Formats: sequence, structure tokens, C-alpha cells
Amino acid sequence: MVELRTQEQRLLSALGSLGGKASVEQLIDACRFPDTAVMRNALTLQEKNYITIHAEHQNVIKLTPEGQQYAKNGLPERNLIRTVAALGGTADPQTAAKQAGIEPQFIQIALGWAIRKKWAIYASENNTIRIAEPLLHQAFIPEGCDETLLKYLNDKGQAALEELSPELKEAAEQLKKRTLLTIEPKTTRTLQITPRGKKAAVESKAAPQEITQLTPELIITGKWHTTKLQKYNIQAPVAKTWPGKKHPYLQFLDEVRAKLVNLGFQEMTGTSVETSFFNFDALYTPQDHPARETSDIYYVEDPQYGDISQHATTVQHVAETHENGWKTGSTGWEYKYSFLIAQRLILRGHGTCLSARTLESKKFEVPSKHFSIARVYRPEITDKTHLSEFNQVEGIVIDENLTLKDLLGVLGKFAMEIAGADKVRFKPDYFPFTEPSVELSAYKEGYGWVEFGGSGIFRPEVTLPLGVKEPVIAWGLGVDRLFMMRADIDDIRMIFSQDLDWLRRKQVT
Amino acid sequence: MPTIDVEYAELEHLLGIELQGDMAKLDEILAFIKGEVKLYNEREGIISIEMKDTNRPDLWSVEGLSRALSGYLNQQKGPKHYAAGKPAVEVNVNAKLWNIRPFICCSTVKGIHLTDAIIRGLMHQQDKLDKTYGRSRQKTSIGIYNLDLITAPLKYTVAKPDEASFVPLGFTEKMTLSEILERHPKGIEYGDIVKKHPVYPILFDSKGNVLSFPPIINSNDLGKVTEQTRNLLVEVTGTMHKTVLNTLNLVTSALIDRGGKAYTATIHYPQDSEYPEKKVITPDFSNRRMSLSVEYTNKLLGLKLSAQRISELLLTAGLGIEKTQKDSVDVLVPCYRIDVMHQVDLIEDVAIAYGYNNIEPLWRELPTTGRAKPDQRLIDIARELMVGLGYQETLTYTLTNQESLFDKMNAQKTKNVEVANPKVVTMTCLRNWLLPSLMEFLSNNQSVEFPQKIFELGKVTLLDEAKETKTRDEEWLSAATAHANANFTEIKSALDAFFGNFGVDWQIKETAHPSFIEGRVGRVIVGGVDVGVVGEINPLVLEAWKLENPVAAFEVNLQRILEGKLNK
Repeated sequence: MVELRTQEQRLLSALGSLGGKASVEQLIDACRFPDTAVMRNALTLQEKNYITIHAEHQNVIKLTPEGQQYAKNGLPERNLIRTVAALGGTADPQTAAKQAGIEPQFIQIALGWAIRKKWAIYASENNTIRIAEPLLHQAFIPEGCDETLLKYLNDKGQAALEELSPELKEAAEQLKKRTLLTIEPKTTRTLQITPRGKKAAVESKAAPQEITQLTPELIITGKWHTTKLQKYNIQAPVAKTWPGKKHPYLQFLDEVRAKLVNLGFQEMTGTSVETSFFNFDALYTPQDHPARETSDIYYVEDPQYGDISQHATTVQHVAETHENGWKTGSTGWEYKYSFLIAQRLILRGHGTCLSARTLESKKFEVPSKHFSIARVYRPEITDKTHLSEFNQVEGIVIDENLTLKDLLGVLGKFAMEIAGADKVRFKPDYFPFTEPSVELSAYKEGYGWVEFGGSGIFRPEVTLPLGVKEPVIAWGLGVDRLFMMRADIDDIRMIFSQDLDWLRRKQVT
Repeated sequence: MPTIDVEYAELEHLLGIELQGDMAKLDEILAFIKGEVKLYNEREGIISIEMKDTNRPDLWSVEGLSRALSGYLNQQKGPKHYAAGKPAVEVNVNAKLWNIRPFICCSTVKGIHLTDAIIRGLMHQQDKLDKTYGRSRQKTSIGIYNLDLITAPLKYTVAKPDEASFVPLGFTEKMTLSEILERHPKGIEYGDIVKKHPVYPILFDSKGNVLSFPPIINSNDLGKVTEQTRNLLVEVTGTMHKTVLNTLNLVTSALIDRGGKAYTATIHYPQDSEYPEKKVITPDFSNRRMSLSVEYTNKLLGLKLSAQRISELLLTAGLGIEKTQKDSVDVLVPCYRIDVMHQVDLIEDVAIAYGYNNIEPLWRELPTTGRAKPDQRLIDIARELMVGLGYQETLTYTLTNQESLFDKMNAQKTKNVEVANPKVVTMTCLRNWLLPSLMEFLSNNQSVEFPQKIFELGKVTLLDEAKETKTRDEEWLSAATAHANANFTEIKSALDAFFGNFGVDWQIKETAHPSFIEGRVGRVIVGGVDVGVVGEINPLVLEAWKLENPVAAFEVNLQRILEGKLNK
């Protein structure tokens, strides 16, 4: 007993009733299947030796929109000649074309073809067109092969080049040059039933009906007992499903935040626009420091100045510290401090301004620990290793007896907890606002040594004017590098990637 | 951060070590002075070293670098002493310079043997000092001359822009000061420093020959130094006496390191003037005295170092010791260590000489409670809901441009935070709404499979006169769905699901919004307050972003909602 799938069975019997041989198009009509279904089932039937498939390659001719128009209204040279004849056999081309309804840009084409077809003669000395002598007395100029083909195609829609007479073939090539038709290769497939197939078509009729989709109706009516559920090709590829997901970098920052909270740090926040005072002055960065040049920090166009009046006492102390060291035991930077420059608004260049604000606010207990995840801005040309806008993770630890040992301890803890490092190493570093300053490198198996953070103990020139007597550890972590390592990317721009495909394919780790 | 180029062979010679091309080894040594190898051009034999400390100009030459490292390499501990002989040159200063470029310091160096390499090194140091320490010649600028062609005393005075003329370095024709500002490359580069003044600074010798037009350019006749030059005159002009003097000390000491013998100069400031001192002798190689507390040192480092040990470590770091007492060390800070402002600067040197990696890290469990920012929990819930609704989270720049924010959105321009010094035309201001960021994202993904559903919960910056920074940042939420059948119903349904699960009652009110299709847009109302907009994007906007699929979107001011929830 031969078992055929419903569609296969239908195709085979349709082929039988079409005389054992039919084209795919005929079968699409007969079976009411989509063409893909016909071909798919035809291929399986061929594998089972029930049918054979013959491919025939043809060149199909079709009219272009312009060709269709000429098929209906006549070729321009034909219209031109007809008008000239009506005008007495001689006319100037412009007048004739106008009467014939030919647009000015086509006059030359119409005239050219009329001459080429020997329908007319053109005299340039007096700009006249005259119907050719032998034709002058004929009632009609006989139809050319090109015109015949145009009409034929307009009626039939298309034709196979191979089936045309040699004259019409030549006309087709000519009309193709005039872009009035297209000639494109096409493969037509014919299916032919084999003797084995003929037998199967009869025998298989008894096969039970196969069902693709189990429906509520089949379940409720119990019909599913007597139907057969078609086996699927479970290896067949399926359409992709793209779930909604968090952004990988933001998810990474979520993790960093959770770890810092676990380590006892409180989150600080602030605005993207900041006063120069908190971004620089309060951090003992002199007012002519290179970091404040327009090449290094974004200045706000309008308004230019912020309001630091509610920090007047602090500002005064900071000013004196810059000028002469105030009560900090420092020489200071020894220059004339400008209160105007202090108020200049900028886009914050680091998150350390938030630490300065926290210290100045006095709204903390001792000991206390703080962190921030801040979007910061630098006027950089964006490339593989630079962004003009990125996130910084940094913070402070305040306690009475903090020492350099504690600073190294905090850094070591970060390296282990956040970067999952195996070993750490410390190097001297420089920031205008910390002394001593330490660079942290973390070693991770498979990645090697990576610079992971910069830190230090705030200078007394920073803490004392802000009203803080305790030592303060300030730290910043290179989380972008860590993320890039984890996400296996080597271009920092990928953090802000606009590539939806990448985001969709990025595994959640 | 300044990057200095040094010749490999010279560095090996001056450091007295053999590197055998091992840059990792050099990096280890440079770590003592916060330097790092950036590039080693083996063919030219040049090493580029980045110096992290912007306040250590004494390190910006191969001489200075090896001077600072000699203690750490166990060669010569303590500071290097420099001396200058009796005044050889006098300089008279015009009172009119007080408001222009008031100070000048000068020295002469004799009997020097210059090689091509040394001259290049000097130029390099001069360039770094002018640029970084001299703040692009604003604060200080250096001039070096062939002393044999100059007749003392010098006259540091002023001239009208068209009054004086000379042949500037690198040129063959005489030019007036104003012509130099217009045509000479250095005039074009640094002209702004003097242009605001009616008269310009100028330095003459007693024969009336021009030495230079500070801070722009030297004379080609007197200011050209070659391998044949044996005797030099160095001058530094600037706005602050201390910086000018420090710069002269640095340049002169580098020339002494090269075998020259230095002599001082006497600077005469006018009697009847605002100048605090009327007679100054430069350079000044004297040390500063500073007392370092043993207790403070140990308190900051968490160590128990004796005064003796601290002294030894300071010597390694190249500082001098006048006296070691029980509780304190009297430190001699050499003239070139201009970075030392406070005891902490010495304490760091003690720590570096001790070795950071010899200090045991200490993690103490402090009794603090960690806390994310108050609205973080709600922000996370909001993001999770959007993800649950099938929307992909995006992260975009807050820096954008007016065209994206308004023109392409067919929206009315509103005042937002613009930057005065944008680097690229696409980043000129901070966004004051999120939807343009999403539209841009969609427009970059036209060839990616549809439907595309994206959201961003991010910051927008709004002007706010009442705030210290005249702005406030708010967390907003925007979502967009793009595909052939995207429509109002779909996005309204998503917003409704979001609010429903977020516990927010909301209403929708008819409105018109130029970014959306008329009649297919609504105002989002929460607690009677307008918090956003939802609708189908106007095809005009789709066209502007070159989008070929319909887009439906919403944008809400989540900040208001978060605050409302937190205040409950």
C-alpha cells in the first residue's frame, strides 16, 4: 500500500487527469496550491520515482510600459507619416509632429525611424519631410514586423523568443534596443507521470486524510481519532523570534551597581550640566589648567553661568586655597582666582564633581561610602578607543583613620568583586585632586593585565575647603574596558551600538 | 598629558643602564615617575613617553627624566645641585609692560658643545614647556639666542605694531610686528595673546637689534642656534613671576646638564612702578625648605616608618635632607620640583620610594549601608515591563543636534542646552526629548528584520532657571514599534499594559502634535497632569528619517510618575 501525503496525492491525481503531462502553472491552477507547494511536492514525488520533472529554458519577451503605449497608440513614426500624408505628403517635421500629438523630445526619434524605414525623405535645406515616392500613392503603408510583434505581445501579454519566426525575432531585438520590450531568460518546468506514478495515483486514493494543524474543532468533535496528523520535518529551519531584552551594557552597569550597594556604597546623583566650580575648582584644578581648555571640556553656550551663591563660604575657602593655600598647609597655586570662571557652566567631564558635592553637603555620617554612575562628556572625535560621551563609575570612602593601606584594600576588593580578578598590582598615578594617587591593574586568566582604575586620597586642598576634616579615598573604575572584555568587543563605540541585529543576537550573560 | 620624545641611545646613556629594547622593563622604571612608553620607533630610535603628571615640567626632557630616576636606580640619591656664576647680563624693563607681559627672567650659558640630538632635545623641551606649563605661551614663553651676537644690556620694552621690524625665525625678509601676526605661522597661532593690546612686547639689545617679539617669535639673525654655537642667552617672559622663573630654572639647568656653565642676569624693573621688586637676579637655583611630620606621614600611609627611614626614602626620590629630627624631617626641595605644594606631595614620594606593592592592602568592613539611588528600583521595574512587552532596550547618546531634535521631527524648536564648542556637527546640544534618539536608531536599522520594537529609559536635560546649574535632568521613557502594520492601537495597548502593570491610572486626551498623524495622537494624562504623548508618527517625519515602515510611538516623562510614586 502506497502512502502519500494529501498534497502529494492531489498533485499526482491532478497530473493524471491532465493527461500525465502538465506545466507547473497548469498544476497550480488544477490543485489550487501555491507554486512553492507544487514544486515541493513535485520534488518528493520525483524522489519516489512517481514523476519526472523536465526543465525548459526560454527567453520570455514582455512589453515595457512605453511599449504597451505604442502598441495601443501606434509607433511615433507611423503617426508622423500619417499626419504628413494628411497634410498632402510634404510638411515641416515640427508642424506635423505637433498635429500628430508627438512631444517635442520625440520628434527626432520619430523622424529618424521614418527615414530608416524608408517611409519618408527629409530635406534639411528647407526643413521638410516628404513621403517616399513609392508609398505616396498607396492608401496605407503596410504594417512592419515590429508593429505586428507589438500588437501580438499586447494581446498575449508575453511570448517565447524561441517560438517566433526569424523576422519577428529580428523585430524583437530591434524593439529591445528601443526599450519597448524586455527579453528575460525563464525556466519552465513540465511534470510527467511515470508508469509507477500512474499506479500509485490509483492505489493511494485510499490513504487516510492527513492533517497539518490540529484545530479546536478536531478536538471538540473527536474527529482527530480518525484523522492522521502529518509528521513534520522537525529539522526544517524556523523563523527567528527576537525577544525584548535589556541593553547588555546597561545590564552590566546594573550588576556593578548591585555589587557596590552590597559593598556598602550609597549612590550619588547630579546633573549633566555642572558649574566649573564643582567640576574643577573644588577639586583643586587651577583655573588655567589644560583640562579646562575648550579642546578638553564642553562649555554651555547659553546660559553661560550657573548660580553658586548658596555655596558662598565654600567658594571663598576654595578661592583662598587656590590663591595661597588658605589653612590647608599648602602654598596653593599662587594665582588670582576668578569667581566668574567658577560659575561657568560646562557639561561635566567626570563624575568626581558628585563626590565634591557630597562632601560639601555634609549630609553623610562618618564612616560613609558613596558611588555614582554618571554620564560624562569630553569633546573627543569618536573612534575605536574614544567616545565624547560615556559613563564613569566612581566614588569615595570617608573615615577618620583611612590610610594608603585602606585605599589599596578598597581597590583590591573592587578588582576581585567587580572584575573577578585573580591578582592586582599598583602603580603611581596622577590626578590634580589626589595625593598619593594609585593606578590599579587587575590580572585575569585569559585576559592578562588590564588597567582597571585610578584613585587616590583627596588632597587637603580639596577636603578642608569643602569642610571635611577626615581623610577621603576617591576611586574611579574603568568599567567600559571590563565590559568590552566581557562582551568580546574591541571597539568602544559598540557600547552605544545602533546595530539592532547585534543587540538581538547578543547573548544574555 | 604631555608626551615627550627621547632618543633611545641617549636615555640608555643618561640612565646608565642597558635596556636591550625591553620596553616592559623601561615601563617598570618609568612607573616611579608616572611615565609610560606610548610608542617605540625602533627604526628612528625614538621612544615616546607619556607623562601623567601635568605638574612636573622638570620631567619633560631626557635630562630631567634621568635626574628624577637616578635615585630609584640606586645611582645618585638626593637632589642635583645647580649653580650660576656672577651676573653677566642686565635687562631693563619698561613700566608699560605691567599690563601686557610684565615679567622677564634671563640667564647665559657658556662653553656648551651642542650636537644635533641635543639641539632637538632642547627644542622639544622648550616646546613642551611653552605648550603645557606655559599654557600655550599665554603664561610663559622661552627664547634662546647666540650670546656672541648680542650686546648687553638688553631692553625689554614695548613697540607699536608697525613701529619695529626684524627678520623672524625661518624667514629672510624684514617684517613689522603686525605683519608677523598676519603672515608668520607662529604669529597666526599665538597672535591672540598680544592682539588685544595697543602696543606689543619686544626685546632689544643695546645696539637696537631685535632679539624677539615675545611670546610670538625670535629673530632669525640672533635666535638661530646651531652645532657651532658655544655661548647662549636664555630668556623667558610671561605673566607670573614665579612661573617665568621656574621655566628659566628648568631650561638653564638642562643646559648645565649638557656641560655648559651658567651665569645669572640682573633684571631691573622701573623704580616708579607697580612692580613689587625692582631688582631681581635670575635664575635662582636655591632649594626650598619644608618640614615633614613623621606622624602625618605614617598616618596617611598606614605605616610605621622612622624619621631616618623617611629621610632615606626621600633621598631615593631625589629630595634633599637638611636635618632628620625625631618627629620631623627638614626637607630641601630642589628648585626644579615645582610640584611640591604640601606635605602630601612629599609623602607620596616616600610611598613611591617604599613601593606601593610593598604595602599590605587593608579592607575594613565599615558599618555603612549600601543604597542605590531612590528611584532606581522603579526604573528597573519600568525597564523590565518594557522588556516583557517585547521591546528591545537601546542606549543612545544624549548629545545630539537641532536637526534631529526638531527639523527631522517636524517639531517646533524649543530652547535647549547647546554647547559652545562642539567637536562635530552631529553633537551640538543635549537632547530634551527621547523620541528623536529612537527614530535615529530605527533609521540605522532599515535592513534589519521587522517588526522592530525598541525602547529607551534615559535622561533628557531641560533648562530650569531656578536650579544651580540652570538645568535639570529627568528620566523619560520612550518606545517605538516599526513594521508594515504598526499603528495607534498597538502602541496604545502597549502603553496601557505598561501603566496598568506599573500601577498608574492614565487617561488619553485628543491633541495635535506635528510629529504625529493628525487624529491618531493623544496626550497622556496622569493625575490630571500632561506627562507625554502617544500616536502614529507623521509620514513627513518618517520621510525625514528615511523610514519605509509605519512607526507608532509613545514618550512619557517618567520622572514625574516616579516622584509621584516615591512621595506616596
